[in-house]
Amino acid sequence: MAKGQVTDILEERKEFIQCKSNAGGLGLKCEKDSVAGSVSQRACVYCGARVVLNPITDAYHIVHGPIGCASYTWDIRGSLTSGPEVYRNSFSTDLREQDVIFGGEKKLAGAIGEIAERYSPKVIFVYSTCIVGVIGDDVEAVCKEAERKYGMRVIPVKSSGFAGNKSMGYKAACRALLNLMETNSTTWPRQSEKLTGVNFLGDFNLAGEIWIISNYLKRIGIDIVAKITGDSRCEEIMKAPEASLNIVQCAGSMTYLAKEMEDIYKIPYIKVSFFGIEDTRLSLMNIAHATGNKDAVEKAKELVFVEELKVKAKLEHYRKRLEGKRAAIYVGGGFKAISLIKQFAELGMTTVMVGTQTGRPEEYEVIRGMAVDGTVILDDSNPAELEKFIREKGADILVGGVKERPLAYKLGIAFCDHNHERKHPLCGFEGALNFAKEVDLTINSPVWKLRRHHL
Amino acid sequence: MKNRNLVNLNMNPCKMCMPMGSALAFKGISSSMFMLHGSQGCSTYIRRHMAGHFNEPVDIASSSLNEEGTVYGGESNLKKGLRNLIKLYRPEVIGVGTTCLAETIGEDINRIINEFSREEDCGAACIIPISTPGYGGTQFEGYYSAILSIVKAAATEAIPNDRVNVIAPNVSPGDIRNLKAILEDFGIDYILLPDISETLDAPYSTEYRRIPSGGSKLEDLRKMAGARATIEFGLTVPDSLSPGTYLKERFGIPLFKCPIPLGLEYTDIFMKVLSELSGRLVPGKYISERGRLIDGMIDSHKHNAEGRAVIYGEPEQVLAISKLCCESGVKPVLVSTGSNSDQILPLINAMGYFNDFDEKLLVLKDTDFETIQKLAVQQKANILIGNSDGKFITEKEGIPLVRTGFPIHDRMGGQRLVHSGYGGSLKLLDDITNTLIENKYEKYRENTFQRYYSPKKHEDKTNIHPCFSSLASKNARMHIPVAPTCNISCNYCNRKYDCQNESRPGVTSAVLSPEEAAAKFAYAKDKVANLTVVGIAGPGDALANFPQTRKSIELIKQIDTNITFCLSTNGLMLPRFADEIIEIGVSHVTVTINSVDPEIGARIYKEVNYAGKKHTGAKAAEILIKNQLEGLSYLASRGVLCKVNIVMIKGVNDSHIEEVVKKVKACGAFMTNIMPLIPAEGSAFQNIPLTSSRELNEMRKKCEADIKQMYHCRQCRADAIGTLDDDRSAGLWKGICKGFSGSESRNQKVCHKLTRGEVHIEIQNIYADGCNVGNNARV
Repeated sequence: MAKGQVTDILEERKEFIQCKSNAGGLGLKCEKDSVAGSVSQRACVYCGARVVLNPITDAYHIVHGPIGCASYTWDIRGSLTSGPEVYRNSFSTDLREQDVIFGGEKKLAGAIGEIAERYSPKVIFVYSTCIVGVIGDDVEAVCKEAERKYGMRVIPVKSSGFAGNKSMGYKAACRALLNLMETNSTTWPRQSEKLTGVNFLGDFNLAGEIWIISNYLKRIGIDIVAKITGDSRCEEIMKAPEASLNIVQCAGSMTYLAKEMEDIYKIPYIKVSFFGIEDTRLSLMNIAHATGNKDAVEKAKELVFVEELKVKAKLEHYRKRLEGKRAAIYVGGGFKAISLIKQFAELGMTTVMVGTQTGRPEEYEVIRGMAVDGTVILDDSNPAELEKFIREKGADILVGGVKERPLAYKLGIAFCDHNHERKHPLCGFEGALNFAKEVDLTINSPVWKLRRHHL
Repeated sequence: MKNRNLVNLNMNPCKMCMPMGSALAFKGISSSMFMLHGSQGCSTYIRRHMAGHFNEPVDIASSSLNEEGTVYGGESNLKKGLRNLIKLYRPEVIGVGTTCLAETIGEDINRIINEFSREEDCGAACIIPISTPGYGGTQFEGYYSAILSIVKAAATEAIPNDRVNVIAPNVSPGDIRNLKAILEDFGIDYILLPDISETLDAPYSTEYRRIPSGGSKLEDLRKMAGARATIEFGLTVPDSLSPGTYLKERFGIPLFKCPIPLGLEYTDIFMKVLSELSGRLVPGKYISERGRLIDGMIDSHKHNAEGRAVIYGEPEQVLAISKLCCESGVKPVLVSTGSNSDQILPLINAMGYFNDFDEKLLVLKDTDFETIQKLAVQQKANILIGNSDGKFITEKEGIPLVRTGFPIHDRMGGQRLVHSGYGGSLKLLDDITNTLIENKYEKYRENTFQRYYSPKKHEDKTNIHPCFSSLASKNARMHIPVAPTCNISCNYCNRKYDCQNESRPGVTSAVLSPEEAAAKFAYAKDKVANLTVVGIAGPGDALANFPQTRKSIELIKQIDTNITFCLSTNGLMLPRFADEIIEIGVSHVTVTINSVDPEIGARIYKEVNYAGKKHTGAKAAEILIKNQLEGLSYLASRGVLCKVNIVMIKGVNDSHIEEVVKKVKACGAFMTNIMPLIPAEGSAFQNIPLTSSRELNEMRKKCEADIKQMYHCRQCRADAIGTLDDDRSAGLWKGICKGFSGSESRNQKVCHKLTRGEVHIEIQNIYADGCNVGNNARV
């Protein structure tokens, strides 16, 4: 090793880390660019935009740039479809040196043309990557010209990787969605003709989750106008302005869209989360109340009663096996972290560390309010910090994504995959049960005992 | 042969970017860290990709370039990044790779790093800059660029020593361990670069290390300039990127270029080199392993002989795997790489095995998975060999995948696979053989029963016909031109029997008898993958020639019991023949209904010939419409899938189309296909303006509210063969002519015309071919 000792926390990172105490103090620093060299777990603007828009199943997603960006995000989300499979392909203009020198507009126009002629699609999204802005391609002009030529929507997504952090990508995606909603703008707003249904913002149908929630809502008599964006079609997103209420789950990515829709289409929104029994119950009741329909409220009560009965005994079984264990959380967005803290509490566990890649100030405030004293709260953390606090706090399990999993295992603790790749739903009542099952099977696995075995 | 089907697009990439390759190489350097000078995402994506494959923590830093850095230069970001990285990890070696962004804004990382090293306390870290623009190549080129940069930076002083440089290929840590064991068995004192055997497959330890132990040591790398020889596993590595070539040219170190030791001959090459360098005989254990590999190849050769493999990945792996396949009798039918490698094709050809195969091997470079997928089907591949990205082809086409290479994201143990040496080759071959066996045996009982005992089972009819479902686009169909006459006359129609230059309904190169049609089918079935549908689309009307239609279907049914039959008609004779159509097993029927209003119909139809009498005007249209709707309702009620074709004729029926759609929906139609009028020269409508694809799609979108729309129609000929996007009729006709027993003069005529037609294949492809409306065509 080179001279000098390794540092765990960089000076510039200190304000992004807090230890919860009752003394209060200033809010956590967040929503900032990542610190160079800190080995942030975040991806980029493009990634934020891609993960939000990609689940639109019948849209063509063209990544305008060199190959890497498209290669690493091919079918990345694991979101399921009930119909078209178009979104599971990865299209790239695959820019080369010559294109970088002479510009990529021609190639982009050609690419759009090839898709238009081959598939006659309804909507194409064109993502800008890092170099597109730098080499001066006018993506908007190319898209506009293609719309005129082919009579379909070609929507630019401003997602150059360097232009902010992942949250900026969410915003870029939201703007692209608003652009899509404007397709039929001549008929908006039609206040008198609002549909009774709701839009569901911020679920991406991992392992069929949006189907589970849609079924719940159907049972209490509420229709979904547009799913944004899990298992959605372009047409339904165009209809979204007709809905009477927006329910927002992934607040990190969708709050901007909800606020804009409130402004433009006068659709109010409420925040929900379907992770954990408590949040699922609260969310269903809130939605029922928000529709102002007494019948829906009664039906929601009944649904919650029945579904809780179905899982309670089983959850109790897991609770006995997990009580007293300590959890560390490092996930993408704040809403998920908040739900996870509650979910661990439901299982008799304590959260000792909680962090997110793109949490917002108000979410960190909620987290601070919920956390027990001594809990470490982190924004945009890195492996060195995660390692330090997992050890210091004696966590038994880490919840996170693919990159964090090997770290947990090397540190000898359990891991829960709350990421794109999982193959079982974690939302709703049955999802809460799946979650408990996964936490149990990893924490109580026999493999951890082998760690202390010696020859 | 085109490398990619699409010109301006890469659809489903079969490659990664250069920074990925340099990150992989740097992970094999002891006490090193890698940093990408670019935006935050590049490092995170690469980390995720690697972590998912190796199941190891993969820490890669980023200079996290933001907007300001992009505009004013990223120097301060890069320096700050290095400073922080050193504080967190204290590495001995830091690799700094550029990205698309850094290269495009013109960052001079050599200067910045030099300055940094002079000005700052780096804790003695050696910082190595590497130019890896994402648009400059693939991970393959990135890997060798990084190794070359490391060699150039470390190997500067030639102090002669007795060691042997070994430039490792990009294979698994398991393979690297295997190569090291072989080198050690020959007693060779080697310097391996890079060495990921421990760093990317670390044993569990109660003590966690932020930088895993293992890897090539910098002090060893410094000795490379004085080594007595270099072994480089890289026949496909261009000289400009070859570290071995650099060491040879700069320091005169003898270079032994080997392929990856995979397969018998390629492993032999490695063994001979080691024997020569060590002065030792090949150890007895390898002689036994070698014998066991040959023994294994003999044991499994009959299974292997049924293998038709698609091999894809990095050039060097693809080359070695192809070699193993060829040696063992597995036939590579497509060898492909995403790298724009000029080396791969001559090397594959030089193998010489392909002369023994009776068909052409396809070799593609700079390709994508969309192209590989289509060709895999066309080449009738039954096994894929490559990284886990081939899983999409497995999912869509049912071709099983043997996983090897990087990345493997959907299975455990990719980092531990050993596919090198005699033993590793046999392991890979066993996997290939067993996959072939499993695939054959899995459906053996069911298939045999279905084929010889049980009659055909009815499948889900919607998803097998390319004109009825875009999901069935891989299914091919064949139109047999057995119905020459027509019983109505449409104003848009000008039927020419003999113009191969034209691609539109009603056109064919020849009319066939039912027997000729059956012969043509038998020939085409052998040549066209997935030929599942036979249709009769004129050139006249299928029902105006019902005896021929019926006979053709009966004959073809005897050749292949699993064929789906469809026909298209103007519907005039539907009420008369509906029962018989169902009885002979036609499951899909297309009826062309351009109007449900006799007044509008009168402007479209010149004449209707019904029950021995010629009708004109509204009366004619009325008879036709009545029969069309009656026939449609009846067929639909009996479970026949009915599509309705509507020709959109500007100023005639365009404002009436929505009404037609509503009406046919009520009659039970499954979908409608609105298509533009092709103003055929010589027809009454020859001067009607063209409908643009925009107008067409707007109309389709409008009607979609009522009924499923066909968007993928290609308005094909009455003698088309192939998938909708790949008309192979022209090429196939030649062979069919040879197969005919009919009169010589006629065959010659057909062949001649088709040769002419081939010139126009490009023109045809603009329309390609697809659904049919041949029935409504009339002279």
